[in-house]
Parts: sequence; C-alpha cells; structure tokens
Amino acid sequence: MSEQKLVYVCEGGDCSEKGSGDLHDNLKEMLQAKDPSEEKVRVRRYPCFGGCECGINVTVWPDRLFYSEVTEADLPEIVDQLVADGPAVERLCNKVQPDVEEMVWSLLDSPY
Amino acid sequence: MSTVDLEAKIPNNVGLRDNKRLLRALEKWQPAFLQWWRDMGPSDFNMNDIYLRTAVGVGKGGWAHFDYVKMPDYRWGIFLADGVEDRKIHFGDNIGASVWSEVPGEHRNRLRRLIVTQGDTEPASVEQQRRLGHTAPSLYDMRSLFQVNVEEGRHLWAMVYLLHTYFGADGREEAEAMLDRHSGDSDSPRILEAFNEPIDTWLDFFCFTTFTDRDGKYQLASLAESGFDPLARTTQFMLTEEAYHMQTGENGMGRIAHRAAELVRDGVDPMSVGAIPLEMIQRYINFWASRSMDLFGGEDSTNAAESFASGLKGRYREGDGIYRDARALESAYQMKVPDGDHLVDREIPLRRAMNALLLDAYRADCVRISQRWNRDLQKLGVDFQFEIPSTRFNRNQGVYSHYRFTPQGEMISESEWTKRHHEWLPSQKDRDYVKSCMVAVHEPGKFANYISPPSMGVNEQSVDFEYVKFH
Repeated sequence: MSEQKLVYVCEGGDCSEKGSGDLHDNLKEMLQAKDPSEEKVRVRRYPCFGGCECGINVTVWPDRLFYSEVTEADLPEIVDQLVADGPAVERLCNKVQPDVEEMVWSLLDSPY
Repeated sequence: MSTVDLEAKIPNNVGLRDNKRLLRALEKWQPAFLQWWRDMGPSDFNMNDIYLRTAVGVGKGGWAHFDYVKMPDYRWGIFLADGVEDRKIHFGDNIGASVWSEVPGEHRNRLRRLIVTQGDTEPASVEQQRRLGHTAPSLYDMRSLFQVNVEEGRHLWAMVYLLHTYFGADGREEAEAMLDRHSGDSDSPRILEAFNEPIDTWLDFFCFTTFTDRDGKYQLASLAESGFDPLARTTQFMLTEEAYHMQTGENGMGRIAHRAAELVRDGVDPMSVGAIPLEMIQRYINFWASRSMDLFGGEDSTNAAESFASGLKGRYREGDGIYRDARALESAYQMKVPDGDHLVDREIPLRRAMNALLLDAYRADCVRISQRWNRDLQKLGVDFQFEIPSTRFNRNQGVYSHYRFTPQGEMISESEWTKRHHEWLPSQKDRDYVKSCMVAVHEPGKFANYISPPSMGVNEQSVDFEYVKFH
C-alpha cells in the first residue's frame, strides 16, 4: 500500500481571493466520497506558501508535488492522482519559484 | 457548528448565558478592559468611523464581517473553534489519551504560565502602537493598524476567558494583572522584552507585524495542538485573525521596499525624497527578526521538553502527522553551539530542542517572505537582496546570547562587533531619519512618499475608499 498523502490547500490572502476556501471544501468532499476515513489522503488548509502570484496553490506530500493555478476544473484529475495513484498533473507543476517549494518541503521532510 | 450569541453584552459561542458565575466575572472585567483601551489603546481616533472587520462566527467567512465601527464600540467577543468529537492527545507521553476539557491538576501551573505569557503580549502590542495613528501614511494603512489593534484586544479576551473559566481566583488575578502591566513601564513592564520596545514609526510597525506577530503565529500554532482542548480551540480561532496581521506586515514592508526600489531604478536617492533606502530597511529587518527570535526561548530547554511531554504544547503542525516520532524520544537535534571562541557540534535530545525546532520553522517562513520581496526588487531591475539574519545574530536569549555573530552567523570578537554593528543594526541616525519620513496622509487614495499603494483594497473596496471617516 502506498504511503498516506497529506494535501495542503493554501489559504493565504491571494489564494483566498481566488477561492481557495471553496476549492478546499470541494476537494475534501470529492475525496471523502472515495476515501471516507482519510486512509489514503488527508486534506488540510495551510496559512500561506508564498507563491502568491501563482495561486491557488496545492501541495501533495510525500509526492513533493506543488500544484499552482489550480481551479475547480482541475480537481477530478487531482483526485485521481491522489486516490488511484495516477500520474502527476504535470501542467500544474513547476510554476512557482523553486525557493517557495523548498520552504514547504523543508517543513514536511522533517528528519524528526 | 456552535451557536454564536451576538446579542449578549459579550458576544460569544461558549454558552456564557448559561454560566452565570462566569458571565458575572467577565462582565466585571469588561469595564476595566474598556478603561484600559481608553487609557492605553490608540491615543486618538476613537470617535472616528473605521472600516473594520469583526468576528461574528467561527464558520467559513464568519470572522470577516466588515462595517464602519468606532473602536470603543467594537464587539470584542469570545470565540472558540468548533470542537472535534473524541479528540485524542497526539504527541508526548499521554499520546492516545482523551484530551482534557478541564485543567489537569499536575499541569495547572505550567498551563497558566503558557496562557499568561501569551495573553500578556496581546495588550502589549496595542500599547506599543498607540500613537502610530497620528502618522499613518494613508487611510488604508490607518485602517490596517486599527484592525490589528482591535483584534489583539480580542485575543486578550480569549486568554482572559481561559483564565477566568479554568483557573479560579488565580486566573482572575492574572487577568487583572494583564491590564496593570504596561509596555515599557519600568515598574511593571510586559513579560517579554520585544513587547517593551517602542513602535514609533511605520517601518517598525510593519517589521513588528512581519516578524514579531509571526512568532505569535508559531506559538499559537503549537498551542493549537494542545491536549488542553479549550486552549487548542481558542488558539485555532486566533490564528485566522493573526494571519491578517502578518499579511499587513509582509505587504507593508514590501510596499516600502518597492517604493525605494522604484526610486533607485530611476536613479533617485531615496533619502532625497523622504523614502527609506533598502540598506536601512535591511538593518531594521536584522533588528526585529533577531529580537523576535528571542521570543522562542532557549534552544535547549527542559521547560519546553516538559510542555511537549505532558501534551500541552506540540510542534508546528504536529497534528498533520508530518513528524516521524510523535513522542520525540528517538532522535536528537543537531546544532552548533559556542565553546570559547569557536563553534562545536552538539546533540540535544529532541524533546529539549522543541524551541529550536519551532524557531527553525519560523526562520524558514521569514526567508520565504524575504524571497518574495526580493522577486519584486528583481522585477524592478534593482541589484539588492534582503536577507534574514542567522539565528545566532544579535541574540539576548539562548545559547548564542553573550557571544557576537555577523548576520550570516559567523562568530566574531567583541571588538569587531563594536566596530561593525552599525552596518547591521539601525543607528540613532537611521532611527531619526526614518522618524522624519513619517508624515500623516488623510486624503483617500493618497500615500506618503516612502510607501507604494497596495495592489488592492480591503474587502473588494478600492484603494481610494474612505477607510477612515473623520467627520
């Protein structure tokens, strides 16, 4: 069985303006239908990643995927990737500055 | 979702109406709070209409109701995030046990100290900033200042609620003492040093909300993991408001830097037009970042270990399950510590290094912000990059205090520090200059010359909206 995934949806000012609150709720609802007890995926809000120009930002750990400019239309593909271990949604990757990604991974890859 | 009683004298979602004893105690404290606001809160503008956000609920969007309010009429309320059914302690020695809904006797003193220390910072910052309204660089910024102030007042209410509800007579005394101590008062100062520093310029204010409020975010986030459920739920809700304060700082600093960079790009010396040079901004960053790092406490701390072990204070985002060892017993934290005139490697048992771990997360977050400012400078074609100082620089707390380091973390002698510290920290001349730039601008949509307008207004209003009404 693959490792449990942790998904963060950014709720910083810019992402919130673009509707990250609703996107978080909808993603959670879609996942709940396929993974009701959060065995495979947990979705959480994150205060701000700092990739504000590229919002809405969503990260997937431990896969180290940093999705940017995510819209509601992208959610079915993201859910597939998360639940069925499908391929990464490449068109949403590599949009933010590498240092922004690094900050998130440095927190999540804690050796402790 | 819990019901919010907005009609009550003290708006709340904690069922105050049904707890007469607590209600009486808090209603007795309320006039003292309002008197404190009049005496120690914003020194003026209390009769003006300010476009403020008021928390009216804990659900989605409930914390963001906007309207014109006179500050003393702000509805300071008590709000807890909704509880999670059958929540368990998820770290430390009590892992798997049910969370506490009452104060466990053996942890009473430690919990009270955590709450009092956090609570004391809330009114302290309002006191530090009380005269800033007079030099607001725009109505937009004046509104932001007052928004931060009233919400810090609400955070005081949150902590006072916990003290009154769970700590009996001791708690009531502590709540009164929160209004008796004052920032910078030589006889009765605030508990933490950074909260006794005066904030008399807007550059200091934006540094404070970027760096010192961010310490608050990390402290609140670690308390939001607490096994003492009322504390966890209180701090979870406070975090939603705290995010706005940090954004105020981050954007304000970015706008001051943007203005300076525009001038540099155009070949104009910022000081010739009342703007603030980038090098001077960097010195303020060094000062406030290092002062704020002190708030995390000693890197090697038995107190922090005990708070973690007992389940009172977790690591940043502990509940997301991102740490390998939820008991923190299996590994050690590696750090370099001073030994004479050089640094040596030392291993600290992980539990004792909880403050250091939290500080690392904080600094990474600060670096992220500086990189955001730097991208803007780069876009403007200006060859300057802000840097966040090393955790060793200019420290008054922890293993690096009593030693001297450059902002890059290189150990230096006292004599070299004496020679060079004005390169790194604001001098009196810097402070006098920044003070001279502080001019009040009260015309909607206009801004002082040292700061760029924001990219957008508040709550979908335009930048030239009348955020403060003087008539």
